Amino acid sequence: MAVAELRAAGGALAAPRRRRTRAAASRIGGGLAVLIPILVLSSFITYSLGALSNSNPAATILGQDAATPAAVAHLDQVLGLDKPLIVQYWDWLSQAVRGNLGVSYFTQIPVSQSIAQRLPVDLSIAIGAVILAVLIGGTAGTVAAIRRGGWIDRGVTLACSAVSTLPAFVVGIILVVVFAVGARWLPANGYVGPTAGVGPWLAHIILPSLALALPVAADVARQLRTSLVSVLEQNYITGARVRGLPNRRILIRHGLRNAAGPALTILGNDFPIMLAGAVAAEAVFSLPGLGQLLLEAAQTRDIPVVQGVLLVVSAFVIVINLVVNMALSLLYRSADGVSV
Amino acid sequence: MRTCTSPCTTEPPRRSAASRSASPPARLWAWSGSPKGCGVGQGTISFERQDVTDLSRRGWERLHGTGMGAVFQDPASYLNPNLTVGSQLAEVLRVKQRLPRREAHRTSIELLAAVGLHRPDRVFHQIPAELSGGMLQRVMIAIAISCGPRLLVADEATTALDVTIQAEIIELLRDLRDKRGLAVLFVSHDLAVIRELCDRVVVFYAGEVVESGPVEEIIERPGHPYTQALLRVASVGDFQRRELQVIPGQPPRAGADITGCRFAGRCTAAIEACRSGPVSLVPLSPVHQSRCVRATDPGLAAATVTTPAEAAELAAR
Amino acid sequence: MTRKTRRAPRDPVLRQPSAMTAVAILAIIVFLAIFGSALAPQSPLAIDAGALYKGPSLHHLLGTDYLGRDVLSRLMAGTRLSVLTAFEAVGIGLVIGAPLGVATVFLGRAFDFTANRVADALMTLPSIFFAVAVTAALGNGLVQAMFPVGILLVPVFFRVTRAATLEFSRAQYVEAAELLGGSKLHVIRVHVLRKVMPTMAVTTAQAAAGALLAVSFLTFLGIGVQPPTPTWGGVLSSDLDYLNLAPWAPFIPGALIAITVGALNALADAYRDRAGAGELRSPVTDPVIKTHSTLQPLEAADDRQPAA
Repeated sequence: MAVAELRAAGGALAAPRRRRTRAAASRIGGGLAVLIPILVLSSFITYSLGALSNSNPAATILGQDAATPAAVAHLDQVLGLDKPLIVQYWDWLSQAVRGNLGVSYFTQIPVSQSIAQRLPVDLSIAIGAVILAVLIGGTAGTVAAIRRGGWIDRGVTLACSAVSTLPAFVVGIILVVVFAVGARWLPANGYVGPTAGVGPWLAHIILPSLALALPVAADVARQLRTSLVSVLEQNYITGARVRGLPNRRILIRHGLRNAAGPALTILGNDFPIMLAGAVAAEAVFSLPGLGQLLLEAAQTRDIPVVQGVLLVVSAFVIVINLVVNMALSLLYRSADGVSV
Repeated sequence: MRTCTSPCTTEPPRRSAASRSASPPARLWAWSGSPKGCGVGQGTISFERQDVTDLSRRGWERLHGTGMGAVFQDPASYLNPNLTVGSQLAEVLRVKQRLPRREAHRTSIELLAAVGLHRPDRVFHQIPAELSGGMLQRVMIAIAISCGPRLLVADEATTALDVTIQAEIIELLRDLRDKRGLAVLFVSHDLAVIRELCDRVVVFYAGEVVESGPVEEIIERPGHPYTQALLRVASVGDFQRRELQVIPGQPPRAGADITGCRFAGRCTAAIEACRSGPVSLVPLSPVHQSRCVRATDPGLAAATVTTPAEAAELAAR
Repeated sequence: MTRKTRRAPRDPVLRQPSAMTAVAILAIIVFLAIFGSALAPQSPLAIDAGALYKGPSLHHLLGTDYLGRDVLSRLMAGTRLSVLTAFEAVGIGLVIGAPLGVATVFLGRAFDFTANRVADALMTLPSIFFAVAVTAALGNGLVQAMFPVGILLVPVFFRVTRAATLEFSRAQYVEAAELLGGSKLHVIRVHVLRKVMPTMAVTTAQAAAGALLAVSFLTFLGIGVQPPTPTWGGVLSSDLDYLNLAPWAPFIPGALIAITVGALNALADAYRDRAGAGELRSPVTDPVIKTHSTLQPLEAADDRQPAA
């Protein structure tokens, strides 16, 4: 019976795995499909902000004196401001997906160019922050869970509570005070791209990344600790031990793998908050990033820039959401709900 | 012998070392009795003539899997729900036996077939949620024996299973004993299964061995009132039940300090001597012992009779 | 006897020491919000060129800022703006989000689906970016800026109340109540709301903490504040420019923010621990959880409608 079947089956991918992969793929596909409307909806919201504005951009551009009704009307037509909102939105969106985000009302610089210039700054600190949050939060949560009840655990829990009450900019300021002004180890402000040398680049982004990472790391650590503690009490951990598997392997492959889910979810949820913190980091550390761009544009009511930045930021968040979802799918096969 | 379940299940004190020597076939042991407490109370535990009472964590890590394996009552909960059963089986092979990936895969499938699973190649890729209780228990057994241990501990392994599946698993265990010379320590409260499967029985009560001996002898001539009561309740052996039997009273709390026999409070045959001091094991035959003051007392059977029908049977014997 | 006797709070949750401390702190803050400007020892606007960035002293309990103004007075006066606008944001979120969250469970699939997608869309927008963008449209005022913060709190309340309502609407006693002839509305009001309240309390406290942080943040960035009006974030921001002179300075407003936020969080935690509300359930221990495209574990498999 079994031997003949073994030979026949060879190394073919067995049906159950195909079934599960298909289920997972359809869920991710479904997620993507839902994503498009979400992207459209959020971009529409951001776009309509322009419409909410009472300001008359044509008049502002022309300036006080030249803003005769005729000139304004003409400029309106040129800028496409006289069309209905939906049409304007559609034009804008169709251009946006091609990479054309319009042109600043005031400086005539293409929005995408301004954004592209400043994006590396935010990308550096955002990605740095995510990595740091995972490392710090993951380690802290894991250690607290393993040494549950001990002084490490209590210390970590306390630290988490303290840190998560601090807004990113306060953390940033503390870091600046301690490391830059006080100890003078790291620069207090400015940004230097990696092309100018990896060392200086890292030196400049580490404090801002840390400022963004710490509150999120606190959330992650707290959640991870809770999940890990409950996972480690499960029977399958005992089962793994009884099989004689080494502790480290049990912890990582069985413990963390199953406990990481909620923590990962928290990371994904906190990501928009982290990005918001990036605006603070830019202020505290004088970094030329998208946040500053947005602030300036908001003050001058440079609507195309505002819309462009919001779109890019939303897209960023959505991409991260997608990545986290995929990771969750990979980790949690049992959630596919395939029953016997 | 020691149970190799998680540190918090019982290590019952045993004074005999049961080891498997070259010539006699591996034997199936069973024990039944009341729930046990934690930790080793007294005595030592040895496995294969080695004292393992105070073995370190590393030592146990080495022993688990290659020296002894274990299966438990609810197989689904003892497997990682997010990994395929095959990968968990292969994992043990790769880590403990250092098999390369391909070979571990092949061996896993062979093992799955050996425990009686159909389409083992397909089962390999399934997650626990996709398999039935019986199949999962087979998987657990496969994992437990994968590294060739000399002892398999089966802790209520068939209790949660359907009766027909139960029979199959028992058959499997018997098979493994015969073909691979695997010693099995079968923990159960189901005396019918024990009789079916085992060679020797050790009966526990309140953390103590109260009787041990060959299975047939214990069932036909139980030497301890507790064993008798168990048989009566299970309606096994000479005690054919006509009405629901219970053992009145409650087992003592774990760690309770009791002088004398721990069963005395619930025993219908208890006498003065039972409560006066510690009771030691009395040999009833070279292979059969009982921890009862009245073990060799011929009046014991009469004293534990509970129904007139039993009395009549006894008289007739 | 007309004199009111002081009683311990009847609510068992609030009797815990941590919660009581938190409530006490918050009571002080609210008190300051109402009476702060009047009680400040000095005028928050009084410039004193001779006492720039002095440390704490008898005259100036918390020191002075870069224009010689008394920090304590500025912070006390600034409390009102921060607290009121935080209330505004939470209010918006609560008043719109919570009823929608409860209602969506009973209003049918289509409504629920759309509402969820809108919530998803809103949640992808980082609040500060959104708030800043809104000021571009609506003008540079704090009230305007907190409005989008409030809007962005709506999906949070929505999600939480929806999940809590789903959980309890399936309870058998609700079914029983309906069968006994109670109208839907009655059932909701009497049974479901009572169970949903603790979760909402937790969320409100957390949302308030978040809103307060947002206010501090926005004023820190210079949004909505016309100098010399004092705000917590504004004080913090100006301290930043003079870090070399007075590295200790930002810790004062920072501590104030942290304490208030901490009190709110502690209150939320006390409710949560007691009522077991608002916890993220692990996909491992909770077999009902499935991953959802928008990362809300509380959603569980709750895209299904209850048997309504």
